[in-house]
Amino acid sequence: MDFGFSAEETAFREEVRAFLQRHPPETFPRDGMDAGYGSGAVSREFLRALGAQGWLTMTWPRRFGGHERPMMLKLVLLEELALAGAPFGPFGGADQTADVIIRDGTPRLQTDVLPRVGRGEVTFWQGFSEPGAGSDLLSLTTEATRDGDHYVLRGHKIWSSHAGIADYGLVLARTSREARRSRGLTMLVVANGSPGMDIRPIRSLTGEVYHYEVFLEDVRVPADMRLGREGEGFTALLAGLDTDRFWGRFYKAPALLRIVRLLVEYANATVRNGAPLSRDAGVRRGLASLAAEIEALRLFFYRLGWMIQQGEALKHESALAKVMADELGQKVAAFAMDLLGPFAPLTESSRWSPLRGLVQHAYLTSLGHTIAGGTSEILRTTAATRGLGLPSER
Amino acid sequence: MDFRPTEAQRLLASAARDVLTRHCPIETPPDGTPTGPDAGALWAILAELGWPGLLVPGDLGGSDGTLLDVMVLCEEMGRFGLVSPYVQSAVVATRLLLTAGSAAQRRVVADMAMGRRICALAIREDSGALAPAAMALSGRPGQTLRGTKLFVSDAERAHDLVVAARAPSGTTVFHVDRHRAGITLAPMASMGGERLFEVTFDDVAVTASDVVGAEGAGWDALEAALGLGVLAACAEMVGAAQRILDLAVLYARTRVQSGRPIGAFQAVQHACADLARGVESARPLVLHAAWKAQQGVPAQADIAMAASYAGDACLAVARRAHQIFGAISYCDEHPLHRFHKRIVAARLAFGDPTAHHEAIARAIGLA
Repeated sequence: MDFGFSAEETAFREEVRAFLQRHPPETFPRDGMDAGYGSGAVSREFLRALGAQGWLTMTWPRRFGGHERPMMLKLVLLEELALAGAPFGPFGGADQTADVIIRDGTPRLQTDVLPRVGRGEVTFWQGFSEPGAGSDLLSLTTEATRDGDHYVLRGHKIWSSHAGIADYGLVLARTSREARRSRGLTMLVVANGSPGMDIRPIRSLTGEVYHYEVFLEDVRVPADMRLGREGEGFTALLAGLDTDRFWGRFYKAPALLRIVRLLVEYANATVRNGAPLSRDAGVRRGLASLAAEIEALRLFFYRLGWMIQQGEALKHESALAKVMADELGQKVAAFAMDLLGPFAPLTESSRWSPLRGLVQHAYLTSLGHTIAGGTSEILRTTAATRGLGLPSER
Repeated sequence: MDFRPTEAQRLLASAARDVLTRHCPIETPPDGTPTGPDAGALWAILAELGWPGLLVPGDLGGSDGTLLDVMVLCEEMGRFGLVSPYVQSAVVATRLLLTAGSAAQRRVVADMAMGRRICALAIREDSGALAPAAMALSGRPGQTLRGTKLFVSDAERAHDLVVAARAPSGTTVFHVDRHRAGITLAPMASMGGERLFEVTFDDVAVTASDVVGAEGAGWDALEAALGLGVLAACAEMVGAAQRILDLAVLYARTRVQSGRPIGAFQAVQHACADLARGVESARPLVLHAAWKAQQGVPAQADIAMAASYAGDACLAVARRAHQIFGAISYCDEHPLHRFHKRIVAARLAFGDPTAHHEAIARAIGLA
């Protein structure tokens, strides 16, 4: 056992910190809402800046323009970006999509789309959920029928994050009706602006737009924009889910640590009832206990990252880690609301708002985290049946 | 980063599991002391295996092991709910005497490494706190010790005591023979079966050669050694929680109600998932803190975080498991309560939950 970072990892961390000094995150224009996961707002300019550093391609194979550097560096990068509150929202989606294109993509995806992902020029939305297919994803009804060298898509997708400001959708659609519902689903990469595609915003409880619903009326998708094999879209999705959950929540611990650090500064600087808030026993105990739990979360994720790097299959671990990350995030936000007292609900535009409205925003967005990407209930069931070997309910 | 145990650690763990499977069957309360049913036989077996010498250098008869070796071993001890003086004697007292002890005291460590002597810690008093300010027992070298220590576990079978005494400025730590005139014991009954004692020092003569380190300057070394005890106790808690998880999952798979195994019900599945989360999230935190302490870099905050989170998480595992097992776990003959009580005891043994929080609060910068 050795929990230290290598010289290469430590040097890279310094490199990222120096980059953030030169490019202060708050100076980048924001294109889309910060959903609170820890990856910040969507800033296409920031994504391009990461691309210019070569950091979007650093772990890719050389033949795709990558540098074949160790995966651990990506963890270091994400950790530093989250600690700084940088707006790297679309990073995860782009990175995971790139991995699938490298592994399973058609020549067209590999030569046309992939290089632009590497430069930080394109982002993706996920078209999985439908109005009638939430936790029961397999009941989705969007259809893709083959017509020559195209697929023709018809259906209605919903809860697609940042779809309206992205370039491509990853749409899961039924290409054949089979007895096993998990068969016959195919993943298509659909360009935004395709004729027949109507993307409509859904205003969220923060007042900003994060999700979209997407209507697909006979949208023609070239067959070589298929991601993975026909009929195996769901199997591929499932196989990737364990690592997706990991990548989608790895930056939660550093993001929560950033919030705790801000709360510490706030408590040190705020006098309530004639005494500094930081001297209040409940405040000290609460923040200390949260800091310990965040450190546990951080190391839990590093352990999973190490397992992925070793090529070990994740079973239930990433489901449990996601549940922990999202429930802890809600706990931190709820504690922070209490800490800020009557000022807590004030939003950024009020001059009385502490920490620029960060806490109320974290509080509201965190409510969605235990739902998105697999509800905590579904994930606990997954962990119990697939990980612990308990019998299925049916 | 490498989360893999070394080959030696894997061997140590598997040997420990073999031995403890044989000698600590789940049906009977495990016990490694002469007051228990095995009359010290188990301690002799552990000593034979060289475990008490794990942290002791080779020239004193030990095996030059590391703190992470101890962590691996203690997790196995926790898995079997072993109640023994191992951590206080072979980890805390051993480390204290090795780092701050005189040549004569280091020679005692050689006996401890062989399992021939056991040393108990007499630190806490009536406030329960592990802090210099809480030490009221008085006495200087050349004079006598007067006062009362509480929560001294296994005092009855210990050969020596480490005693913390108030000094004009600071704390003096003494290492004295437990049978020295003026020392009397009274048991403190406790729910967990740990043999705790109130130890009264009634004019116990001490000399300069009994002092560990320098007079009035003993606290730092003691605190550092207690930190290792906190970590080892965390490993015990993780092992006990892992065993509870294993037992609960087995039970949920096999116990049938309403025509199906209870593990097919979501309410039970989710409870089991929460148990797994507790164990799997506590272990890396605890091992990381031990690794840091082993590097010799400041690790007080890491130790406090490990104790705070692992203590809460493992205790929650135990409490939730009662609900999975239902009525049967309320019985004395069911093993769950023993593992539960081990966690309660380990959480308090070498640390102070309030002090852990305060250490973290300072480390994160609260003024």
